[in-house]
Amino acid sequence: MSGPLIDFDRVSQIYASRDGSPVWALRDVSLTVEAGEFVCLIGPSGCGKSTLIHLLAGFLTPTSGDVRFRGRPLAGPGPERGVVFQEYALFAWMTARQNVEFGLRMQRVSAPIRRRRALEALDRVGLRHAADRYPHELSGGMRQRVAVARALVVEPEVVLMDEPFAAVDAMTRTTLQEDLLRLWRETGVSVLFVTHNIDEAVFLAQRVVVMGAGPGVIREDLTVDLPYPRDRGSADFGREYARIAAALARGSRTAGGADGGTDGERRAA
Amino acid sequence: MTATTEGMTGDRRATLRRPAADAATDGAAFAEAFRRAHRRGRRRAAWLRALLNVMGILLFLAVWEAVPRLGTWVNPVLLPPPSVVFDTFVPMLLSGEIPANILVSLRRAALGFAIATATGVTAGLLTARIGLLHHVSEPILHGFRSVPSIALVPLSVLWFGIGEGSKVALVAWGSFFPIWITTFIGVRDVPVAYLRSAACLGAGRLATLLLVVLPAALPMILAGLRQGIAVSLILLVAAELSGAREGIAYMMSTGHQMFRVDIMLIGLVLLGTFGFIADRLFVALIRRLFPWYTTAS
Repeated sequence: MSGPLIDFDRVSQIYASRDGSPVWALRDVSLTVEAGEFVCLIGPSGCGKSTLIHLLAGFLTPTSGDVRFRGRPLAGPGPERGVVFQEYALFAWMTARQNVEFGLRMQRVSAPIRRRRALEALDRVGLRHAADRYPHELSGGMRQRVAVARALVVEPEVVLMDEPFAAVDAMTRTTLQEDLLRLWRETGVSVLFVTHNIDEAVFLAQRVVVMGAGPGVIREDLTVDLPYPRDRGSADFGREYARIAAALARGSRTAGGADGGTDGERRAA
Repeated sequence: MTATTEGMTGDRRATLRRPAADAATDGAAFAEAFRRAHRRGRRRAAWLRALLNVMGILLFLAVWEAVPRLGTWVNPVLLPPPSVVFDTFVPMLLSGEIPANILVSLRRAALGFAIATATGVTAGLLTARIGLLHHVSEPILHGFRSVPSIALVPLSVLWFGIGEGSKVALVAWGSFFPIWITTFIGVRDVPVAYLRSAACLGAGRLATLLLVVLPAALPMILAGLRQGIAVSLILLVAAELSGAREGIAYMMSTGHQMFRVDIMLIGLVLLGTFGFIADRLFVALIRRLFPWYTTAS
């Protein structure tokens, strides 16, 4: 096949603010992602990075422009685009295994095969022992592992992650990041990963897309050319970190205002 | 930014895995002893609680027994002591009069409640999931909900007679509303992350409804059912008092006509026990059926 896996073509997304005036969550955003790529979206809150994810997931339709997947325009959510949410998205009434099985159940996979594949998926995130526990019996980090297993078990072509590790503690986060990289390399899936954490972006991504707020636009598209696994203590890592931090700072300066355009709503006020 | 806290790399993987099993051998005996002591302590606390509960009941009965005998300011005919009530109760129980009345009342309440559950949950689901239906039904449903159900007793007797129909209809009517409204709220407020998760895992409308929306709304639905049980009892009594040939409240109203306060008190105790047991059974059933529910909500 030819052409990119994901193609945002001059996409704009406009919300109505509380008093009815338009707020530009995204303005003329174009972005392509190739199959197998790991791309991080980073930017201040209100820059539309989550909106971008929601558009690609099919939860939203763009006000103008096209979002294409494998060259075809999107029509709603689908299992070829897995999503991992920030938190609280595991079904509370299902055990970890039943959660992971859900997508397979929707594909009418037979019960024994479903069970085997779910257990394998849980094994890959190191949680086979917790298969029969309910989400409330798991720690925040474990829950996100289950969420990753649930998204990956149906073998999507891309996984969309909306600040998935933002709510877990820093120590757990680093192991989750390492596990995610391992899974990405094992499966060859594309990952579109939203974060507001520069360290996370440099540690994970091949490309870091720096976004700016008010209206949401892409400011810079930077390649992180470091071999995996990356060493947070290395000089190269520090250099990439500084490069992205500088791009973010440039973005917020040009957006105007004393503390930068960190809030898209401000324009409406 | 958390960049400063993330310098700690190295062997964190080893420490984050579960503690190795080597600590279990010498710790096993201690753990077992600790567990046993803990269990013993909890059992003792449970016994103590039960004992205090029983003592509370006995204390209440003792005061009740004493008050009519203490002076002339309480008329024992208007407030017969528990011993008198009990003496009336035993022959009525043995003759089958009380069991028959209990059975009749129970059947009315259960039937009405079952109808209310089926219609209430269905109505709640439909009005919460289909916007058109919600806006069309909203004024009517809320209008009817605002009418105290007891105000419908005379009308119900006119429409359905003094037979079983009017009792069942009243119970169903009254408990329909709390069930409908809580189901509606529960379904409407299903977290969007659940719906989105289901959608991007390939769930269709029906699968989403049955496997995601209903279970997610279940805590609210169950709260509505529990409220419905309480309301059923109120309407059962109202219906039976307004004209019936059997039932617990009917028994009480004949007691009233014969100036037999002891019989009326038997009815009160039976109704209280009824409500209490129904509520406990309901809670126990939920714990059994939905193990994730009690702690998750």
